[in-house]
Amino acid sequence: MSEAVQVTTGGDVDTEGADGTPNGASATPEGGEDLLVREGDIAGDYLERLLDLLDFDGDIDLDVDGGRAVVSIDGGDDLSKLVGTRGATLEALQELTRLAVQQSTGARSRLMLDVAGWRADRRAELSDLGRTTAEQVSQTGDPVRLNPMTPFERKVVHDAVAGVEGVRSESEGEEPNRRVVVLPAE
Amino acid sequence: MSVLADALEHLVRGIVANPDDVRVQLITTRRGRTLEVHVHPDDLGKVIGRGGRTATALRTVMAGIGGRGLRVDVVDTDR
Repeated sequence: MSEAVQVTTGGDVDTEGADGTPNGASATPEGGEDLLVREGDIAGDYLERLLDLLDFDGDIDLDVDGGRAVVSIDGGDDLSKLVGTRGATLEALQELTRLAVQQSTGARSRLMLDVAGWRADRRAELSDLGRTTAEQVSQTGDPVRLNPMTPFERKVVHDAVAGVEGVRSESEGEEPNRRVVVLPAE
Repeated sequence: MSVLADALEHLVRGIVANPDDVRVQLITTRRGRTLEVHVHPDDLGKVIGRGGRTATALRTVMAGIGGRGLRVDVVDTDR
């Protein structure tokens, strides 16, 4: 088995990182890649059986990306029932799939589930929204409040806003009405 | 057994320690359809989840598949 992963930092040391958040690299579990492949296999079996029972057409694709297992289901029109309004059903099914994986492996899973390319499409759309909103705020100097979004959606918008200079973003409100606000940088 | 009951039974069996003790029954009344979930008493907490999170996820998925108005009840007794 591999030795402990050594993390080499560059010249600048992050002095504000002492908030107890584990850093990504050191959080990689032993045999990380193997475990993630196993997570995908368990999730694939769980979801395939569900599709069989429902008589839904779907191909399940397994991958490992960015330190997490990724499971994608593509296929017939029935799959829209597993996406739901604003992806609510997809989020719920992802939650159950993570629990099924955890029940088998004993370890918490960060597995990502996509159905009918919904996340991929939504990510592109939200990225555009974040960038154009940021550019607008940068020009007018007026803050803009976006519609309520899920945590996944807000993350995509925050990332897009971060790519534009002279603006920043934060989230306000309580779930399920939590929303991104784009503001001029201080 | 209905397809909906079979699907929910499968979803629940995957997340509990005692899958053989999972029973799901579809009950139809004039007020609508309800899926009653019975699990091993030790697994109740798992099926309900912190703050009811897991039960909510089960309801959301089943409503997506079976349509709005499909209820999911996790039965809180041995029988």
